[in-house]
Order: sequence, then C-alpha cells, then structure tokens
Amino acid sequence: MEIRYTPVGYQMKDDRAGKADVLQGTLVLLVLRTLEALGPLHGYGIARRIEQISEELLQLNQGTLYPALLRMEQEGWITSKWGPSDNNRKAKFYSISSSGRKQLARETKDWERMRATIDRFLGSIPDALGDELP
Amino acid sequence: MSWPRVLAARVRGLVFGGRLDSQLEDELRFHLEMQAEDNIRTGMNPSDARYEAMRRFGGMESVKEEYRESRTFAAVETLFRDLRYALRTLGQKPGFTAVAVMTLAIGIGVNAAVFTVTNAVLFKGFAHIERSDRVLYMTSSEGCCVSYSDFEDWRAQAKSFQGMAIVHGVRVTLSDKGGFPEYRDATEVSADTFRLIGREPILGRDFATSDEVPGAAPVAILNYSFWESRFGKDPSIVGRTVRINGAPATVVGVMPPGFIFPQNQDLWVPLVPTPNVLKRANRDTWFVFGRMADGVTIQSARAEMETIGRRLEQAYPLTNKGFPPVVRNFAGFYIGPNASLIYGSLWGAVGFMLLIACANLANLLLARALGRSREISIRMALGAGRWRVVRQLLIESIMLSAFGGFLGWWVAKWGVRAWDLASKPSWFNHVLDYTPDYRVFAYLIAISAGTALLFGLAPALRLSKLDVNATLKDGGRGSTGGARGNRLSALLVAAEMALAVILLAGAGVMIRSYINTYSADIGVQPEKILTGIPNLPASRYPDATARMSFYDRLKTRLEATPGVESVALASTIPLWGAARLSYELDGSTPVDEQSRPALSAVTIGPGYFRTLGATVLSGRDFNEGDRFLATPVAIVNQRFARRFWPGENPLGKRFRLFIGNTPQTWLTVVGVASNILQSDVARPELNALVYLPWRQMAAGDMNVLVRTSVPPGSLRNTFRTEVHALDSDLPMFGPLTLIERLQTRYWDKARYTGLFLIVAAIALLLAAVGLCAVIAHSVSRRTQEMGIRMAQGAAARDLLSLVFREGMLPVGIGLAIGLASSFAVNRVLKSELVQVSPGDPLTLLVTSAVLIFSAALGCWIPARRAMRVDPAVALRHD
Repeated sequence: MEIRYTPVGYQMKDDRAGKADVLQGTLVLLVLRTLEALGPLHGYGIARRIEQISEELLQLNQGTLYPALLRMEQEGWITSKWGPSDNNRKAKFYSISSSGRKQLARETKDWERMRATIDRFLGSIPDALGDELP
Repeated sequence: MSWPRVLAARVRGLVFGGRLDSQLEDELRFHLEMQAEDNIRTGMNPSDARYEAMRRFGGMESVKEEYRESRTFAAVETLFRDLRYALRTLGQKPGFTAVAVMTLAIGIGVNAAVFTVTNAVLFKGFAHIERSDRVLYMTSSEGCCVSYSDFEDWRAQAKSFQGMAIVHGVRVTLSDKGGFPEYRDATEVSADTFRLIGREPILGRDFATSDEVPGAAPVAILNYSFWESRFGKDPSIVGRTVRINGAPATVVGVMPPGFIFPQNQDLWVPLVPTPNVLKRANRDTWFVFGRMADGVTIQSARAEMETIGRRLEQAYPLTNKGFPPVVRNFAGFYIGPNASLIYGSLWGAVGFMLLIACANLANLLLARALGRSREISIRMALGAGRWRVVRQLLIESIMLSAFGGFLGWWVAKWGVRAWDLASKPSWFNHVLDYTPDYRVFAYLIAISAGTALLFGLAPALRLSKLDVNATLKDGGRGSTGGARGNRLSALLVAAEMALAVILLAGAGVMIRSYINTYSADIGVQPEKILTGIPNLPASRYPDATARMSFYDRLKTRLEATPGVESVALASTIPLWGAARLSYELDGSTPVDEQSRPALSAVTIGPGYFRTLGATVLSGRDFNEGDRFLATPVAIVNQRFARRFWPGENPLGKRFRLFIGNTPQTWLTVVGVASNILQSDVARPELNALVYLPWRQMAAGDMNVLVRTSVPPGSLRNTFRTEVHALDSDLPMFGPLTLIERLQTRYWDKARYTGLFLIVAAIALLLAAVGLCAVIAHSVSRRTQEMGIRMAQGAAARDLLSLVFREGMLPVGIGLAIGLASSFAVNRVLKSELVQVSPGDPLTLLVTSAVLIFSAALGCWIPARRAMRVDPAVALRHD
C-alpha cells in the first residue's frame, strides 16, 4: 500500500516581489529543524519561527502547515500534546521524536547533496558545461 | 517503510474522526487569535488584525478539507460524508425520491425478473441432465415427426455427436398383484438414453442394448415418485414382474428422486424397433437427443444434420420430403422452436424499458439540477472542485438506484413468482429452477450501477460546468443555461418516445400474431363445449364391445341431461394433433413399405361436426350404421380433397390404410367436411385430414365432447356424476371446457405476448410520465412568461399551443425515429410471427395513435395548469 502525498508548502497567489515559495517537500525539513532547535512548539510558533528565520523571505501559507503537521505526526516524526501556552491558553504543542531526528538527518543530508550539486553547476566555468563528457 | 504506522494512524483517525475535528477547530482558532494579537501589537486595529490573520492563513475551508483528507482514508471518509449528505438531500424531497425510486424499482425489478427466467431457461442449464449445454434436441420438421429409420441413419452417419437417443411418450396399462390395472404415462427410450444424459438408476441397473432387441424380455425402470406412491419404496421391486399392456415385464431399476426425462412419466421402457416402428413413414411423436462430440458447436452439428437430411430426402423422397432434421439446443425441447429468440427479445424489451426509466430519471434530475444550481454554485465558490461536485451528484444517483435495486429485488421476486404461477399448466416448469444464482445477483448489481451512471452522469456533468458568478447573480432562479438544459431534456424525451414506439410496435405485431394464431380459423365454435376423457382400464373394458357400450350409455345419459344440446366422441380435439397413418390412394403407384406416405387422421363418432359447430359440406356425416361389418367409409376435409383430388369430386374416391405392411380394406369417401385445424395454422401438411368412424377404426380413450346451451363450466359436476353413475371407480381427465383446453395449447405464446404487452405498457406509461414531468417543469419555470403573455392578451388557447409545441416536437421526432427503427427491430421477431409482417401498417398506425394520445395527455395535464395561471400571481412568481 502506498500513501500519496499532495505537495505541501505551495503559496497563495501573491506576486509581492522578493518572496519565494516554500519549496515542495522542504516544509518537513524546516519544521523538523525548528522543533529540534527550539523544543516543543505550537503550530503558530512554528509558522512564525520559519517566517522569522527566513527574514520573511519565505512566505508561508500558514494554513498549509497543519495538514503537513498531521502527516508528520502520522509518520511518527513528531508527537503532539495539549498544554497551556505562554498566555495560558490551551494549545497543541509539537515536539520532535527520535525517528523525527533520524528523518531530519536524512533530509539534511539530501539537501546538502542537492546544494552541492547545484553549487557545482553554478561554480563551474560556463563554457565547460558545453564540453562533451568523456 | 512507514506505511503501517500511517495506516494505523489513519484507522485511528477514522474511528476518532469527530474528536479530531473539534481539536483541529481549537488549534486553528488558537492560531488565528495569536496572529491577530501579534498584529495588534504591531499597531493594527482589531478588525484589520483579524482580517490580516485570516489572509495570511489562507483558505480556511480548503485547509480543513486537506487536513481531513490526510487524517484518515480520504475516499472512505468523504464517501461517508457524501452518503450522509445525499441521504439528507433525498430526504428533503420525498416526492421526487419516491417517484425516482419507484421508477427504478420497476425498471430494475422487471429486468431482473426477466433475467432470472431467461437465466433459468437459457444459461443455468438443466440440473437433471449432465452438461445440458452439450445436449441437442432434434426433430424432423418443427416439433415432431422423427421416424425411427431416420434416427438410425442419423446416428450412423453424424460425426458431430458422441451419441444419440430417441424417446417417445406413450400411455400403458400397468397391472400387478397389488392393485387395479391403471393407465400410466411411460416413455419409450433407446437403451443408451440415460448414459447419454449422464444419469443412472439409484437402484438396480440401467437398460442394456440387449433390452431393445425385438423379442427381448420386456423390462422397465421406475420413476422415483411412482416407486414411492405405488410400491411404497419397496427395494425388492427390482426383479419383480409387473404387467405392462398385459405382458409381463421385469422392473430392473429405479431412477433418482425428482428425475424426469424428458417429461412427466411414471416409468421408462425400452423402445423396441419392431417392423412397424421401423417404417420410414411412421413419424410418431418421437424426439431425438444427441450429445455433441468435443469441439462441435451447435452450428456445425446443425450443418451436418442438414446435409444428412438432404441425402435422406433424395434417397426417400416420398417419406422424407418436407421433414428435414431440425436441430435445437436442449431448452428447445421445453420451450418451443424460438426459445432464444423469444427470451432474447423479451430481455431486449425490458432493457429498452430500463433505458426509458433512465431517460426519465435523467430528465427529473436535470430539472432538479437547475433548481439546485445556486447550491452547487455556492459549493463551488467555497472551493469544491469539479470532480467533487460530480461525485456528490453521482452518489445521489447511485443511492437512488441502490434503493431502486433493493426494491427491484422484491419486484423481481414477485415477478418471477407470478411467472411461475402463470406457467403452472406446463410440466416444463418442473424441470426449471428459478432460484436466483450468482448470475442474477451480479446482473442486478450491474444494472443498478449501470443505471445510476446512465441517468446520473449527464445532469452531474452539466451542473459541474455551471458559471458560478452568473448563477449567483441570477438569484438561483435557475434560468441560466436553460436553453441547453431544454435541448438535452427534449433529446431525452425524443429518445424515450422512440424506445416506447419500438416496444409498442414490437408488442403490437406479437399481439397481432397471437390473435392470428389464436383466432386462426380453427373451424369450430368452441364456446359452449365441455370435454372429458374417461380412462377405461383394460381390466374392466377388455374389448371394443365393452368400451363402445360404455360410450354409448354415457352418450345417452348425457344427451338426456338438461342444458346439453348434443354429444360426440373423438380420438382427439382440435389443435391437439392427429394420428399419422400410412396410406395409399386408389389408383396411385404402389410403393414399398419404407417409403409409404402418411396422412393425419381423427377417429370420430356421429354428430362430431355438428357438436363442434363445423359442417359437412357435401356428402353425409357418419351415422350409427357405419359400424364394424358395414362398408368402410371416411370423410375428408376440404384441404385434403383439394390437395389430393384437385378439381375432382372427392365423394366416392377410395384410399386404404396400412397396419404394418398389411393393407386394410379400401375406405370410400362419403363426405367432405369444412376445415378444422388439428395442428398450428402454419402447418398445412398436418391439417389435411381424414376422419374415420369410431366403430370401424378403434382408437384409445375417446374425448367426450358435449355441446351445451348453458355455460359449459356449469355442467362439470353433472358430467362427473354421469360418468361415475356408470362406473364409480373411473379415472377421468377433465372435464374442462374446450376453450380451456385450446388455451393450454397457446399458453406459452399467450404468456410471452402478455409479458410483451405489459412491458410495452409500462414503457409507454414511463415515457408519458416523463414527458409530463418535463413539460410541467418547463411550464412552472415559465410561469412568469405565461403571466406576461396573458397580461398582454394571449388567450388560453395560445398558451396551450405554446406548451404543446414545446412538448410535441420531441414526441414527433421520437415517433419518426421509433417507427423507422421498429422496421429493423421487428424483423428479428419475424420467425415468431404468424401471418403478420414485421412492418404491419395497422400495428404501426395504432402504435402511433396510442403514443400521440399518451403524449398529448402528458402535455395537456401541465398545460391546463398554465392556462389557469392568474396573470397577477404569475408576474410576482419567482
């Protein structure tokens, strides 16, 4: 049985210059990383944190966060618990699990590899790209 | 692999769905409040802050939707929600729902009923026969007349068969020490018959080839229920001797419970090919069954048999001309020559009816859909995708047809029961099993689902293409896209009408054909006649004298009864066949025994023609003087006279009959009688008849025919009393009125024709109701327009013609298409039709008239409402 994911992290139609869509699939990485760094956090906190870290360059369509959180919880990467928030309201707090840490490591490695590949393209001499490969 | 965990989480989601939903609400509310507070902190006023929070969040509903889809199995969960919603929607319009479900229940139910019957006859096979689909049934010409010698040639020459068996129903007297002699139905069979059909006795042994050699010791095998009723299931019956037709015969076996072959009988005896049996002209009621060899199809077997038949016809032109082998499937034995055709066309007819029901529902849904366009637009504005809308609407259709199918199941059950009851007169029914098998269930489910798609898809697709903005602005009056909706529903109406015409025309020619058969001039006036056949056991009526004396006394007593006009005796009654006897005309060239031709003969007493309402056209009727030692005489009917002595006076002509190879005395023709049918009207060769006087030509038990001056049914008891006054132990067949007995001859055809008529009537009703609904809907939508027209001075008549123009156009188109197609469709029925052409103008005329009348009625009902509209009210009408 295969469970299909719909792409997450797409952005609402919004053409304000300079703001990038959250790349498909990177939302998981961002959320896991945030939870690893900051410990238990509610959904709003995660969304704000991602926006702050990216200095508002990544425009998150906040609503899309929640289905993603649900799926990550189903995968067992994060756990959730209801508790009081800073201003003493009831909120749902998410924290990263050990399998979530493993997933984070995996995704980080993938991302590093991807970045290295892209860097190689961007760093190479333009003409060399046209040469025939041996 | 993480999917087991995800799966488990989703199962939990499915179970705790409700709680998770409210938790999500809490979580999202928290999110928005936090964002709004943060926004206020940056200096926004509270309402801007809230708006900005919602804007940054994005589409709330689509997030929830996506969340729900991930929470559990999207398909399952939304399916449940769609089902709940569909139930609510249908519940809100109970009238619509009831009409739709009833329409479907009838359409699906009648279909399933016909399929159940067709399935039992054509597909399921016959349980009492091993692999009945490989067994073929063969005759010479339709329904009868195989000669034993032909059978032997067939069996020797045909390569398409593993084996062939011949069977012949006879009545025998059976006696043993235990009881009175009595008449019993027996079947003469060739020795390997049971092996051919794959059944063997549960007790004793099967027939052996040595049993059918002339001169072999007579043996018999008993039917289980006969063994039970007559011999109390005594196992020592095997080996015991009983007397069959006076001769001792040994019971060698008992067949399994419930087994009959090929029709009702108490016992089986070997068919011994005596010289009389071997005569090629002896075409008695013998039937042949053959089991096809591996790889042979019915077509190739038929082709081979036809070749053999042509060869035999060349070799024996005198006896075999006009008697070609006819090969049918096994069911053909039970349901007549056109079984596949009849059941196939019935099936087609109910299929058409279901299509009409579908078109009807599609139209209803379409009308309703226009009313719902506002609802759908709102749903689409809120982010429902097109597929989502189509799915929701389809689920409603599926639900309707599921309910329809469920009720249809009961309709089918009752339908099959009714059919079963209507078939009771036929023993054929006993070998059929109408209990639904997996095929019936599969069929029911398939047509229910197919129906839902058929009637649901068009309206659903149309609705999903709505222009959301236009519809919302329009105020949901549903006039947007009306023209296209109208065209579609007009198209559906035209299709319904065309189908109805085809069905009506089909039923019409069937009815005419039935009338032609039924009212084919039998040549008698059957209304006031009562008939009975006393069974005279050989023990008490050992010879002709005793039997004649009984009939004479009975006749005298009956004639003295009030209400009786005349009484006559006959070996058989009209339409019930005639004896086939070898003969030779005076002056014709003598031929050898093998090729001697046969004629059809009926043995009668004096007054037969008068009693039946026929006439002796020239010469004289038989009288009491035509007895044993007097001049042997005969009466021929007009057909016979015209065929054998064309242009001559038949009176005084002579012919003689043969018993074995022995010529009997010459018979002189003393009278020519009007034509009476002994076989069906399409078989002239069997309806050229000679009549023989009963005191000169002994026959078995005679039919006693009583012409009454009172309703014949009222004398049943009198008849019985008179018979029992002479012999209190006498078994008797009947008394039945002649009409009743003639009708049983037609019951098969009557049933099919009746069913066709019912189906066509339902179809017409559905089509008319459908038209009525469409017009009513259109009228109610145009109420305002009507009001304006009236306010501007349009007369009621103008409105009427407006409505009729709209309604009758598709009817006209449908009628034209239907009439054109019915020519083609009815041609399929051709072989089943008696003296009526597939394109019978009268039928088509009547069909058109009935259709136009029904359609006009369907238009008139809503049109009347339009005429009654009060302009003031109409103008305010929304």
